[in-house]
Amino acid sequence: MSIEILTLLFFGSLLFFLILGLPLAFVLGGVSVIFLYFTWGFDSFYMVASQIWGTMGSFTLVAIPLFVFMAMVLERTGVARDLYRMMHLWFGGLRGGLAIGTLVICAVFAAMVGISGAAVVAMGTIALPSMLERGYDRKMALGVINTGGGWGILIPPSILMILYALITGVSVGQMFAAGIMPGVLLMVMTVIYILVRSTLQPHLAPALPPEERGTWPEKLRALRAVLLPIGVVFMVLGSIIGGITTPTEAAAMGVLGSLISAAVYRQLKWSVLQEAAIRTFKLTGMIMWILFAAHAFSAAYQSMGAQELIEGMMQHIPGGPWGIIIAMMVIIFFLAMVLDPVGIMLITLPVFMPIVKSLGFDPIWFGILFVINMEIGYKTPPFGFNLFYLKGVVPPEITMKDIYTSVVPFVIIEIIAIGIIMVFPEIATWLPGVFF
Amino acid sequence: MSVLTAFISGVTRLNDFVGRWIALLVFAMFAFLLLEVGFRYLLNAPTVWTNELTQMLFGVYAVMSGGYIMAHRGHVNVDLLHSQLPPRKRAVMDIFTSLIFFIFTLALLWFGIDMASESMSSWETTYSAWNPPVWPVKLAIPVGTGLLVLQGLAKLLEDIAIAFNLDYYRPDQSTSEGEQS
Repeated sequence: MSIEILTLLFFGSLLFFLILGLPLAFVLGGVSVIFLYFTWGFDSFYMVASQIWGTMGSFTLVAIPLFVFMAMVLERTGVARDLYRMMHLWFGGLRGGLAIGTLVICAVFAAMVGISGAAVVAMGTIALPSMLERGYDRKMALGVINTGGGWGILIPPSILMILYALITGVSVGQMFAAGIMPGVLLMVMTVIYILVRSTLQPHLAPALPPEERGTWPEKLRALRAVLLPIGVVFMVLGSIIGGITTPTEAAAMGVLGSLISAAVYRQLKWSVLQEAAIRTFKLTGMIMWILFAAHAFSAAYQSMGAQELIEGMMQHIPGGPWGIIIAMMVIIFFLAMVLDPVGIMLITLPVFMPIVKSLGFDPIWFGILFVINMEIGYKTPPFGFNLFYLKGVVPPEITMKDIYTSVVPFVIIEIIAIGIIMVFPEIATWLPGVFF
Repeated sequence: MSVLTAFISGVTRLNDFVGRWIALLVFAMFAFLLLEVGFRYLLNAPTVWTNELTQMLFGVYAVMSGGYIMAHRGHVNVDLLHSQLPPRKRAVMDIFTSLIFFIFTLALLWFGIDMASESMSSWETTYSAWNPPVWPVKLAIPVGTGLLVLQGLAKLLEDIAIAFNLDYYRPDQSTSEGEQS
């Protein structure tokens, strides 16, 4: 059978079983085993099993359950509530102020945790009712929470970046450092959008009446809310960037920080910890099983020799190297509509990475584009995790349609941001060069 | 025919039990890593065993999760089509796709047993400075995969019962959504 047909059959059957609803991990694993059997024979699966063994012994991956656990604990503490109260007092008088405050909290949360859902759940329960009560436009309020929640994977620490580093061989610390400035860029762009929108259409996001704005002593007292988050951020990022610990140990420092926060808020209870442990187990295990199966996938992919075929196909894309990068971004964008980020990463990176490197692009820079693209994936229908999280916590009168349509302007902003970082790669690559 | 129902709920309970205990390993990993940082900076005496032990615990933690997550419907899938279908049609489709599930898990089980027995027969160690035995972690691969296969079998039987409208069987409503990543 020719390689073209084989490749088509391979990706076709992956797609077929995915659409039939079999979990991604088993689709990747099962289809790959079948193709491995026809190309290299059944015994080649021994190699896959030993790669799975190698993954189990990866010290870097130990960071994943710890970062997840940390996020699960922080989500349950009162940190988010206090931060919101502070933003309310400080920004409430501004048009669009509560939306901007929510964005800032999301950024702070993103700097504490490495996943995307924690901030969405926290802000969906705290900020959304408060914004709606004060006459904020439904779509603006929902969109802000969706977009801000996605920053969790771009602003370090980030589980997606750990996986990216593992697959591509770049350093986790450098990936983390590279995410900082693009994260700030996205935040500034989104805040500007809110300011412009609420100046042009004040009814969308009215300023709070003066009696709700709080006095100066109140404002200053509320500032205490940022102390704990700053401490946690410092413990995690400071440990990594300062070269004190490995990213994995920094994750343990983060867990310590989250436990201290929980103690301060009197939430350090066995029930909270146990629930967090179970949720962590489910999420980490899900990621790890996809990762296990992905070894079978990349072995099958290599065994067929599809690498050269796809590289050859990429040569025909118009626009030279940039055309190829843009084509990759478009492919990832569409995959993100139906697949989860970990899966997309494990399917596309073995295919894309050799091409990106051979074209002379910086893998760290590509990683940042990739992660921003995944953020868009988190909030685009039909399969956007954040959308479902939000739906889980919003009042019943808000429909899925409201949530779907709310993200449009924010997706456009992120696409523009990807463009900016493509044109000015230094935004991503400058900080890693300074720190490491 | 209640044997069937007993098997399904038995497997689910087993996975639930195992999962609840294995989930607690996250505390151990946290404690060992913190201990290492403490030893290194406060006592200036880095240990040889904490990182390696943590790594081994993580391996067990990861591979043993499969069955528990399956029991709680936690493996992510694309449910565009899936969620639109009535239960019986969905069950038929799941019976069909379970073929792919079993090809992967049984192949993994086969080679997992291979690797584990090889490791156990030579009482393999890691050859690091600490040099602990490595076979318990390798053994976790076939055990974890075996639990997953059992849960897959339970789901297959459940789907068959639903597809053929066997009225003696009432599926429990214990499903949970996937988590975020």
